[in-house]
Amino acid sequence: MAEYADPDVLVSTEWVAEHHNDPAVRIVESNEDRALYTQGHVPGAVEIDWQVDLQDQVVRDYVDRKGFEKICRSNGITNDTTVIFYGDKNNWWACYAFWVFKLYGHPQCKIMNGGRKKWQLEDRSWSTDRASYAPTTYIAPEQDKSVRALREEVLKHQKAGKNLVDVRSPEEYSGERLHMPDYPNEGALRGGHIPGAVNIPWPLSVNEDGTFKTAKELEKLYCKTNHLKRRSPTIAYCRIGERSSLTWFVLKYLLGFGNVRNYDGSWMEWGNCVGVPIIKGSHPQSAPDTNTPTSSP
Amino acid sequence: METVNERLDQIVEEFVDLDGREKLELLLDFANRLPPLSDEYTAKKNTEDRRVHECQTSVFLWPEISNGSMNLVAEVAEEAPTVKGFVAILAEAVASRPQPEAQELPEDLLEKMGLADVLGMLRSRGLRAIVSRVRQELINAK
Repeated sequence: MAEYADPDVLVSTEWVAEHHNDPAVRIVESNEDRALYTQGHVPGAVEIDWQVDLQDQVVRDYVDRKGFEKICRSNGITNDTTVIFYGDKNNWWACYAFWVFKLYGHPQCKIMNGGRKKWQLEDRSWSTDRASYAPTTYIAPEQDKSVRALREEVLKHQKAGKNLVDVRSPEEYSGERLHMPDYPNEGALRGGHIPGAVNIPWPLSVNEDGTFKTAKELEKLYCKTNHLKRRSPTIAYCRIGERSSLTWFVLKYLLGFGNVRNYDGSWMEWGNCVGVPIIKGSHPQSAPDTNTPTSSP
Repeated sequence: METVNERLDQIVEEFVDLDGREKLELLLDFANRLPPLSDEYTAKKNTEDRRVHECQTSVFLWPEISNGSMNLVAEVAEEAPTVKGFVAILAEAVASRPQPEAQELPEDLLEKMGLADVLGMLRSRGLRAIVSRVRQELINAK
């Protein structure tokens, strides 16, 4: 595989620098640290926060269709706008925001390859002006369920032995840790992974400068080393669905997996559910001394 | 000299009436005021286990007590200005105050400042953990 399956889904920092005033384009920053946007952002970019804007503040869920429309309308996004996402942490939250936009069926979404890190490395200019745009009349469809996996669907998927990718650190996967190294434990009662899930930590998909690895490198990692099949339905998960949004993006757009969903409930749901199966240790199915396959059939 | 409580009340007052964006701007002002580590502490960073492991960003803390007065020396990664600003507030609040006043650092500082809604639940939880950690370290410091 010489090129990404859908190369148009990425734009370069150069492209963004040239298009930041393009009325058909809206640049959206989404970060782990909100103060970064205030400190400086790509000129013309608006901020859509994954936590305060895109998540419902009462129910553990995303904003509803009306709420999503409101976000787009107030940020000057029309149904025809090409939305470019970027952010800190190698575009984790940019991919998360991208995924929510796809959940609500927004047609033209792209990621600025390399995110804040690359923009900074190239010494490009930052703006502190809060961009504002004329409100639009954005109309969103109902959620596109094909990008999202809910708990019961994951359980069925797991029982059927289909592709499952756990993108957390090896320590979280084995159950040795309940949270990312250096991150707070957000309250999972059990550690381990979903039976059958292969462990492909998300950082393996990105380079030092925040850009995605090449198609060839990604194919080797996901398809050759870990035996994931493009045509087999695939579900990715992590702790709260943020890191797995990046892996979902890689599988769907860069590698061309036909049916891939993000389990946004992730370990913060599974690790607290009553009665769901969990495997401890570094092997997908059971203890390493038993003879079970390392990949799904 | 004001007590830790009085200083925090003043800081809360500065924050409370600002809108979300202004709150973040003020937090950045505090972040910029956190002094860089001296050579002495930069050297200690490599030899002492001062990293706050429950925090999602790289944070190093040294609670120092001298003649019964507190000082909080800290380094926070540049890519985490929210955490840096918050740690700077705690450092300014406790600077040169008697050690028992560490008890006055409130866990709900973020709520009082009106920052919890701006940052969201997950981020707020991380910052609350920092207050607990700083308070505990200052109380236990010798």
